[in-house]
Amino acid sequence: RLTQVRWSRYGPDYLEPEVNKEVYRKPGQELSEEEKMEQDLKALQPIKAAPCNVTSSLFSDPTISKFINMMMKGGNKVLARSIMSQTLEAVKRKQVEKYHQASEEERESIECNPYVIFHQALKNCQPIIGISNIKKGGKTYQVPTPLTDNRKRFLAMKWLITECREHKHYRIFMHEKLSQELLQAFNNEGPVIKRKHDIHKMAEANRAYAHYRWW
Amino acid sequence: MAVAVRRVLRASRSWRAALGGQERWRAETLRLICTTTAVQKRNVPASGPEKYTEAFIKKQIEEFNLGKRHLANMMGEDPETFTQEDIDKAIAYLFPSGLFEKRARPVMKHPNDIFPKQRAMQWGEDHRPFHFLFYTGKQSFYSLMHEIYGKMLDIQKYQDQLKAQDLDEKKQINLIGSRWLIKEELEEMLVEKLSDHDYSLCIRLLERLVTLPCCGIEEEYVLKFRKELDTQLKKVVIEPLQYDDQGVAFSTGEGKRKTSRATVIVYDNGNGKITVNGIDYLHYFPVIQDREQLMFPFQFLGRLGKHNMVCTVLGGGSSSQAGAIRLASARALCSFVTENEAEFMRQAGLLTYDPRNKERKKPGQEGARRKFTWKKR
Repeated sequence: RLTQVRWSRYGPDYLEPEVNKEVYRKPGQELSEEEKMEQDLKALQPIKAAPCNVTSSLFSDPTISKFINMMMKGGNKVLARSIMSQTLEAVKRKQVEKYHQASEEERESIECNPYVIFHQALKNCQPIIGISNIKKGGKTYQVPTPLTDNRKRFLAMKWLITECREHKHYRIFMHEKLSQELLQAFNNEGPVIKRKHDIHKMAEANRAYAHYRWW
Repeated sequence: MAVAVRRVLRASRSWRAALGGQERWRAETLRLICTTTAVQKRNVPASGPEKYTEAFIKKQIEEFNLGKRHLANMMGEDPETFTQEDIDKAIAYLFPSGLFEKRARPVMKHPNDIFPKQRAMQWGEDHRPFHFLFYTGKQSFYSLMHEIYGKMLDIQKYQDQLKAQDLDEKKQINLIGSRWLIKEELEEMLVEKLSDHDYSLCIRLLERLVTLPCCGIEEEYVLKFRKELDTQLKKVVIEPLQYDDQGVAFSTGEGKRKTSRATVIVYDNGNGKITVNGIDYLHYFPVIQDREQLMFPFQFLGRLGKHNMVCTVLGGGSSSQAGAIRLASARALCSFVTENEAEFMRQAGLLTYDPRNKERKKPGQEGARRKFTWKKR
């Protein structure tokens, strides 16, 4: 099957690599017919090389890699990665402290896994509906528009990062501020969640102009 | 001839209707990026008398075979088992040429490879064309489309017959292991130029035919348009294990990425020590990401602490050296591991050479993609 390839060093029939080990663990009998067909097809097609920030270990996470890339400035991946690991460590420390200081009943509800907190915080920050500027009759209106999943994830991460960069005292470290923001977003509070709610309110207010959208 | 016209165009809801309402002009053309664009030629069926008659081509073939035997005698080889490769080597030896353009050097090939395939005269002595679709300009293409549509109608008739007899058979064609012919191959088959749009129409019609439940009847006809694919894993050469003095199994691998070249020796019965250019990997790669890449093949196979590795890397930066070592170690590990696991490694992207390189800077731009600042005046 021919695909639209704008410009890539790989040819058009190269498939994406599947790094997850669990996919290859399944024995032959448990596969359904469709999966068997897919496997046969895959055996005949060339596959791209795995990118350099991806491994099959438990510690590599696509969302976290994306977040690190977005935080990176000037190609300094080492710094971005260290900030990320320090953030996760700070989140874990805060949660463990809270855990030890809490009473017996509250201990079950406290989440200590920093990865879970990160994912939940991102999910809480994702807007449901977006705003786009549409020019009509000389005036620019803010029209509510639907967003794709990728766009939602991107906006959540972008808001987190800009929030941490701009609204912090210069003496506070980035990882410290980020961990504060993540914990606040996990509990549905904080400036990022407020920004998300602002967008929602503006979309609701401009509901009358929704028909200006033509796509 | 009128009968032929009526027979082929029998449902004048023709193959165009079979393609459904998707027959809108598609702005995006689907084609393989890897091939070069073909030069546009004049209308092939309407070309005049043939440049090379059949008799001429036959004579060329006889002369070629005779010349091949003479050449074999001259080189002292056996005329019966003289292959095309031997001919090429002999000609390069006898007529050494310093020309840079390979296509300008002396060549001795079978006339079928040299003279382009062309058609016989399309019209008779009374100047009336033989084929009834001659005046469409693409006679073989349109006749092919009508033929395929005719086959589709036959299959539908067969299905109706089965239904009338209350039988429910389904014969599907097995398409796994083959691909549709690319545009160039189809052009070669029809001896006629095709446009991208025509080619995509043809492929869509064939796919439509293949989706019918009883298409097994026309299997051999459809397989004419399919080409067999080899399993990709066969292209990867897996070397057997070697054993050194103490009886420890080891295997070598080579890998490259960007400008780095790495050679790796993976020893069995180890404790997970990795030495790069004589330095321990912890000191050579201070960045965690590079060390994760070194670990990747072992972690994927679950053999983290079981092998020792000695590597030499030259060129490139830290990331590209790590990538080169990763490829080399994955190739070396193929010899320690079963075929299935090697296939899994290939599907995880461990055994492919990464072709991405620094993109060249273009004239009129500041970098590969960045343009100069736009100034209004």
